[in-house]
Amino acid sequence: MSEWLESAITRAQGINDWLAPKRAHALDLLAKTKWPTRKTEAWRYTPLRPVERTPAKVIRDKVDLSPVVIADLSAIEVVFVNGQFDQAQLAKTLPAGLSIALGADLNAAQQADALTAFSTIKPERHIFGLINDALAQDVVVVSVAEGVEITQPVRISSLLSLGAESHTRVQVVLAAGSKLTVIEDIQAQGDSLNTAFVEYNIAANARLEHYRFALQTGSNVAVGGSHFNLHDHAKMNSTIVGFGSELSRLDTDIIHAGEFADAKLNAMYLLDGKELFDLHATVEHAMPNGKTEENVRCIVADRSRAVFNGRIHIHRDAQKTLAELNNRNLLLSDKAEINTKPELEIYADDVKCAHGATVAQIDKQALYYLQTRGVSRSKAQVMLNFGFINELIDLMPNAALAEWIRPIIRERFAQMEVK
Amino acid sequence: MSNTNSLLTIKDLHASVEEKQIIKGLDLDIKPGEVHAIMGPNGAGKSTLGYVLSGRDGYSVESGSVTLDGEDLLEMETEERARAGLFLAFQYPVEIPGVSNLEFLKASVDAQREARGEEAISSADFLKEAKAACKQVNLPVAFLKRGVNEGFSGGEKKRNELMQMLLLKPKLCILDETDSGLDIDALQVVAEGVNSQRSADRSFIVVTHYQRLLDYIKPDFVHVLSDGKIVKSGDASLALELEAQGYSWLQKEPSEDELEG
Repeated sequence: MSEWLESAITRAQGINDWLAPKRAHALDLLAKTKWPTRKTEAWRYTPLRPVERTPAKVIRDKVDLSPVVIADLSAIEVVFVNGQFDQAQLAKTLPAGLSIALGADLNAAQQADALTAFSTIKPERHIFGLINDALAQDVVVVSVAEGVEITQPVRISSLLSLGAESHTRVQVVLAAGSKLTVIEDIQAQGDSLNTAFVEYNIAANARLEHYRFALQTGSNVAVGGSHFNLHDHAKMNSTIVGFGSELSRLDTDIIHAGEFADAKLNAMYLLDGKELFDLHATVEHAMPNGKTEENVRCIVADRSRAVFNGRIHIHRDAQKTLAELNNRNLLLSDKAEINTKPELEIYADDVKCAHGATVAQIDKQALYYLQTRGVSRSKAQVMLNFGFINELIDLMPNAALAEWIRPIIRERFAQMEVK
Repeated sequence: MSNTNSLLTIKDLHASVEEKQIIKGLDLDIKPGEVHAIMGPNGAGKSTLGYVLSGRDGYSVESGSVTLDGEDLLEMETEERARAGLFLAFQYPVEIPGVSNLEFLKASVDAQREARGEEAISSADFLKEAKAACKQVNLPVAFLKRGVNEGFSGGEKKRNELMQMLLLKPKLCILDETDSGLDIDALQVVAEGVNSQRSADRSFIVVTHYQRLLDYIKPDFVHVLSDGKIVKSGDASLALELEAQGYSWLQKEPSEDELEG
């Protein structure tokens, strides 16, 4: 077991709050879990050295940080600074039907519900999820009442100052027929460590539009997850944008717990330098007539390393499932590395399921075509790389977010090119 | 033929693809404003000529010289050739999903402006120009927002090539089998577009297998390319002769080992 984990466990043992039974359970499981090594399949390509030697520490002093401004986006802000929920940054009045509160501040009945629901969607196999269960100091609960459509997006920001450690946790509950957009954003200033986990329970006929921006770079360690539970006719559309860092790992789980649920997941990550980004995306089709469409695209430059594990598990009762997984990767350097592993496990006999994974270099014909029009080779490469990702950005339902992220990605490609 | 006043001069050009010789001693001299048709059977090296002149990777020149406006074309990178005024309209324009046609066109125009020491054109001004060009080639303006050539029909792709030509205003246009895959209506639109661009300081090389295109784009000269060489040159009437008699009378020995036309 690592020294860091030992200290985390000691800290967790000192917490005594409304989540005590769940925290104790997580600590029990952690005690039985072996610290992952290269021989642990789920961490094979993602060494945990940066966590083992991290000097990041819990900063209790109040630090003033606020989320980046996104033009034309008027969001309801849920802000964590170094792991602490900053109540002052939350609007005093919320749209009718939407409630956002610290779990500790809920009334007894609400708190009992939140306690029951806590950590039921996120699978127990995620070791950092268990650490988050035990350590997340401020747990925020976001809920939308039955049939209510909230037009203003809710943005959950995890902000970290230099050298900070943070464990943030949010439970999002969409009641039947409701509609909500949630943006998860992590902004870290360096040498930090964070685990950011969000669980979504999407009731019958409810619709979730979801974004997760993991744009930490450099010496930040980010290990987190977004986990979704879909009931009958529920729909979700998720977009993930990631830059790598010393260690970036994201686990997503989508569970089709009801029939006729519909999940879309578009993920893109762009890595440079010695960065690493690892996406483990699991889809569980537990019930019939579900639909999943997953597109994952990755560009690796320089000596960076990308890991993608895309598992689709179709249970025996999940007849008439439609599932598609497409993973395309672009290598910009001989020294960059891509480890991709689509895994389909199908136990139902009447399903349509397709997957594909490709690793390619830049399209030489397209490069030549652009050059014959006078565009320089380096500029043409940037355009083509951008084009590869832009196809997924074009699919983002929120135009303000698409317009915000486009120049950021373009800028990153321009930097990649200099080397 | 003399170099003075010539726009393009090709002398004794030998070029190969993957170590296979395709162009075997080609001479051509084009003056400003002239339209030259290059005809020939499949495998004669017609498309190869366009690729060699534009500097495509994998196409290597073994000997000979090519000058554009007196400058050594073969010394230049592909993009420098374009900035020097060379334009190749592709037989099979490339689809580039994710890169919008408008972005592609503006990047092309800006690259050439930059080479001339001019500033990038403003987005608003460019949009106006691009819309006008769309109209001229009969493409809906919505095509500016789509990925480059993505899902375009054959005719739409050729009109998109033409639109690029209108915006880039090159000195020398090489039209590579522009007629292939076009029905007669589409052919007329493209031909009208080309004719509208004919001027005293712009020259064309029209590469085609069939005489049909030359009914609409009247050439000043017609050359027959066979086995990597120009074997016969004449005026527009040569094209009609070829239409009537085919190419076989020009080929002393059939080329069995050629790669492409």
